[in-house]
Amino acid sequence: MNNAAHFPLLSLILFTPLAGAILLLFVNKRSENAIRWIANIFAAAGFLASLPLWFWYDTKSPAWQFVEKLPWIPSIGAQYFLGVDGFSVLLILLTTMMGVIAVLSSWTAITTRVKEYYVFLLVLQTGMIGAFVSLDFLLFFLFWEVMLVPMYFLIGIWGSDRRLYSAIKFFLYTLAGSVVMLLGILAIYFSYHTMTGVWTFDVTEFQRFNLDRNLQWWVFLAFFLGFAIKVPMFPFHTWLPDAHTDAPTAGSVILAAVLLKMGTYGFIRFSLPILPDASREFVPMIAVLSIIGIVYGALVAMAQRDWKRLVAYSSVSHMALVMLGMFALNPAGLKGSIIQQLNHGISTGALFLIVGIVYERRHTRMISEYTGLSSVMPVYAAVFMFMMLSSIGLPGLNGFVGEFLILQGVFVVSKAWAAVAATGIVLGAAYMLWLYQRTMFGTVENPKNEKLPDLNLREVATFVPLMIMALWIGLYPKPFLDFLDTSVGAVVARVSPQYSGQAVTKQADCPENVAVNKFVLAGCETPAAAPAAPPPPGNVQPAPGSTPPPATPLKTTGGQ
Amino acid sequence: MPTGYSANDLVLLLPEIVLTTGLLVVLVADLFTGRSRQHWLGWLTIGVLVATAVPIVALSGHATTAARGLLAVDGFGAFFKLLFVLAAAITVLISRQYLEVEQARPGEYYFLVLCATLGMMVMAAGIDLITLFIGLETMAVSFYVLTGFLRPNRRSNEAAIKYFVLGAFSLGILLYGMSLVYGLSGTTRLREVAVALATQSDSLALKLAVVLVAAGMAFKIAAVPFHMWAPDVYEGAPTPITAFLSVGSKAASFAMLLRLLLEGLPAMAPEWRGLFYVLAVLSMTVGNIAAITQGNVKRMLAYSSIAHAGYILIGIVTATPRGVTAMLVYLMIYAFMQMGAFGVLALLRRRDVVGDELKDLSGLFFRRPLAAFAMLVFMLSLGGIPPTAGFMGKFWLFSAAIEAGYVWLAVIGVLNSAISLYYYVRVVVFMWMREELESASVHPSPGVAVALTVAVAATIIIGVYPAPLFELAEASAKTLGMAPRVLSLR
Amino acid sequence: MTIAFYTLAAFILALGVLVVSTKNTVHAVLFLVANFLCVAMLYVLLQAEFLAVIQVLVYAGGIVVLYLFVVMLVNLKRGPETHVDPRRRDRMGLLIGGAVLAEFVAILLYGFAPRATGAAPAAAAPGVGNVEQVGWSLYVDYLVPFEVASILLLVAMIGAIVLAKKEP
Repeated sequence: MNNAAHFPLLSLILFTPLAGAILLLFVNKRSENAIRWIANIFAAAGFLASLPLWFWYDTKSPAWQFVEKLPWIPSIGAQYFLGVDGFSVLLILLTTMMGVIAVLSSWTAITTRVKEYYVFLLVLQTGMIGAFVSLDFLLFFLFWEVMLVPMYFLIGIWGSDRRLYSAIKFFLYTLAGSVVMLLGILAIYFSYHTMTGVWTFDVTEFQRFNLDRNLQWWVFLAFFLGFAIKVPMFPFHTWLPDAHTDAPTAGSVILAAVLLKMGTYGFIRFSLPILPDASREFVPMIAVLSIIGIVYGALVAMAQRDWKRLVAYSSVSHMALVMLGMFALNPAGLKGSIIQQLNHGISTGALFLIVGIVYERRHTRMISEYTGLSSVMPVYAAVFMFMMLSSIGLPGLNGFVGEFLILQGVFVVSKAWAAVAATGIVLGAAYMLWLYQRTMFGTVENPKNEKLPDLNLREVATFVPLMIMALWIGLYPKPFLDFLDTSVGAVVARVSPQYSGQAVTKQADCPENVAVNKFVLAGCETPAAAPAAPPPPGNVQPAPGSTPPPATPLKTTGGQ
Repeated sequence: MPTGYSANDLVLLLPEIVLTTGLLVVLVADLFTGRSRQHWLGWLTIGVLVATAVPIVALSGHATTAARGLLAVDGFGAFFKLLFVLAAAITVLISRQYLEVEQARPGEYYFLVLCATLGMMVMAAGIDLITLFIGLETMAVSFYVLTGFLRPNRRSNEAAIKYFVLGAFSLGILLYGMSLVYGLSGTTRLREVAVALATQSDSLALKLAVVLVAAGMAFKIAAVPFHMWAPDVYEGAPTPITAFLSVGSKAASFAMLLRLLLEGLPAMAPEWRGLFYVLAVLSMTVGNIAAITQGNVKRMLAYSSIAHAGYILIGIVTATPRGVTAMLVYLMIYAFMQMGAFGVLALLRRRDVVGDELKDLSGLFFRRPLAAFAMLVFMLSLGGIPPTAGFMGKFWLFSAAIEAGYVWLAVIGVLNSAISLYYYVRVVVFMWMREELESASVHPSPGVAVALTVAVAATIIIGVYPAPLFELAEASAKTLGMAPRVLSLR
Repeated sequence: MTIAFYTLAAFILALGVLVVSTKNTVHAVLFLVANFLCVAMLYVLLQAEFLAVIQVLVYAGGIVVLYLFVVMLVNLKRGPETHVDPRRRDRMGLLIGGAVLAEFVAILLYGFAPRATGAAPAAAAPGVGNVEQVGWSLYVDYLVPFEVASILLLVAMIGAIVLAKKEP
């Protein structure tokens, strides 16, 4: 059941920003307002183009949807292969929405070299979308690396203070991780060829393929380096505060909202389904690193005097929670992890916008410079309040849903982990509330703050969609969770089959591949072709030729 | 006894014959052109190169030998010959403006460029020790002179002397190795050498011969520890010649090395694999680390080219069809990006500014946005960032290493390419993020503009849609006589 | 045969070292002549008489004499210690005398050596003389490299002119 209907929707979404960037190259660099209009129009067009995904995506179908497949480099088997599942649909929508907001928020913040700025921003947008829609590993890697250069320029040219240092740190850090990841990709590529005689980078094929356990271990490490740096997980996080602090506001927003999701996306899309055995083995390590990240990020955030740095460290803490939920390796944990990724994009993106607004007015980020802003900028204070509450997980707002699901998932695996993670959440509430208290309440002591203008219409417009999203996910998350059913089901079926009965499992390309993997459940269109009835819940049904996974792999993870 | 040559030989040797005729025409034409019309010599040279390319392409489908089995006429040779012609053409295009600034006479210069190209073509086609050596010598002597072409310039003179002395030394070492090979096998023809030596791989003299040949060729490709000449020579030579030297000479030496090792010494594969493994690791690491500290862009590119020699050596270490293909792909891509980078540097040369210090690039973006963009593309490509061609080249090399089981070599390679980004990006920082020092503007001549456009377009197009180049390289690598035999030894 | 070969090889090496180590350029060239002559003898030993004659005529005779002229014309500067050390000349004389003596010994050895070991090189077909063989190799078998070598010489010539010519 393919709803692509022969219309290359994904390509359209993918190349709209790029088309805008190319068009901008031919605009005179002095007509800055024309440039701003063009950039905004193309960003909005990209968002509009991505909306049909929400409506046309068939949440019941486990197949890859909107698939586009063209030969790209036939001699090595690389294809121009795009396709989405529920998980990537949500991330693409997040990307296009944040793209609009980032472009819109830059209208007055960027006054130098405007043309290049928007060109880089739009190219970055294409890179990010490309990574989310690619189902060819080489194509994915290409987009993955394409993101680096525009982000480097955004930080390096339009950043503040130590921008060159932060830019190069960001660049080399992520690059080092991703080149090692490339070797991992190649290892899978050759191993697949040895076993099947086919040269391909097709991710959907790899997800059905059982790699040698020993190789999985190495490849997992290689992927881990690439993705963990991007997330960033605890020992690899040091580039993030610098990059965030020195990036321009829109850069920080994109970085927090989308770029960090690349790492978690990579784990869920590639590491877990392609390397299920190794993923299980690495659960303790990742759990420990995540827990350290949660607590450490929160504690360091509490000690910050720089507003933006505080938000950056809160990012470290939140993303660690996302990782912990993911490596619970059960449906609740994974769903929570994905929802929390969206939440983090919305809340942290908004928090960076909030910092950016006062920074644009006052050109300082020191928390001590600001007191009592709520009396000068009431609307601003209200928005900040809303977003802060969303970030700390107040019930009724988006953060709560994600955190709850994650804790639920983690609790099943280890009560101790869940307890520590909950502590981290409490700490998160502490530093956020304290920040709010220091900046918004009290009397205006600094005379420079007395005349600060409140939010104008354009600035409000950047927050409205984020607030709507936060409320929507908080009050009625079902549509989002529905999107995740099949994709999370497929991942869980690969990595911890004992849960497979709990979720509607998803099988890529059902009709052709029933024989390969037997998790064919109600979601598949052709149950008749299935060799067996749906397996009873909890029954382990490994793919033919696979090493049977341990019956209770999670028992070995300790800490219970 | 069969006497001499048939008409068929003349056809098969057409590229060399056309080029030789052409270079003599250029030499003579130089005498009859007045000073004011000397830029026509550049276009004449381009014409000669185009005329040479035609028979190369026409003959690329053959798989035979010519001139009594001394020269192979095959896809492998054709691929490299095209590469040389292309590199020479770009060199000529970026030279005119540079020569005018330097007030050097172009006639002999173009003649020598063509002679070097002839030498390279013989190196890529030769399957005979003597033929290869003569080709190498022709190329080398042309470059000695070209390096020192700017006589009033002390740096240029010093570079020429250094290059000459070390080059002659390395040729001596190479010749010694070759004579040992001849002595042990009794023939100079590589394919007969392979047969004769197939059974005596234990011989100590043969091992010595392999070491000497490897060392001699390592000089030419500037692999560590035989690289000492490269930075000084690259810095001192006229910029277009540096470009040609780093691309053409390197590619030709790699072609010759492949012929020597895969066609002549496949039996010694374990020995030379080990040797080149070490050379590859050293070259990558030392080249990159040394490049970080350089303040002169030409020197930096010299060290980077040492590192790139290390990457390319990975292909030799694997000695698989994929490895050879990877080398071909990489050398072609390298030709575009490296020539392009030097083309931008040549553009910066003005009467009063040498233009090769890092600070001379400051704020280039504000003066010449297109040149800065071109340089950005070349730097990213040299560093291996998609969607530029350099990534596709590195992809091939590292995948060849992994396929052949040299995982650690691949790991060292990718880590090095991450390190290398540091100094490539520094160039970008100077161009895009520093204030410009002075406002004097550089106007590219049509030749430079054409060369840079071609280089940028090729670097991006190959990066996005590399399939045609891959297929061409794969088909060409297949024709290299002995490649399958080595594979079976693994 | 073997002894003669190694003696000659030792001389060639020693003379080569002297060429680079001696401070006086004229002496260096003279050592080079001796070196070339020894190489010529090596050729004789290998029964490549034609090559030996060419070696003497072209290298030892022509090229080195040219070197000598160039050195004497261009490089008139002499090291300060030249002619200062009176015993230097004696030592030199001894060395050269020794070399000549050794050569005599070598020739004697060669003359009395048993001549049974293959009168002609293996490749020489009966009825084909040494000169003819060289001709065949050079102008038929290796015609293409020969032609390329001619370009090489042209390059060397043009290069010499380019580097030596005065600025117009």
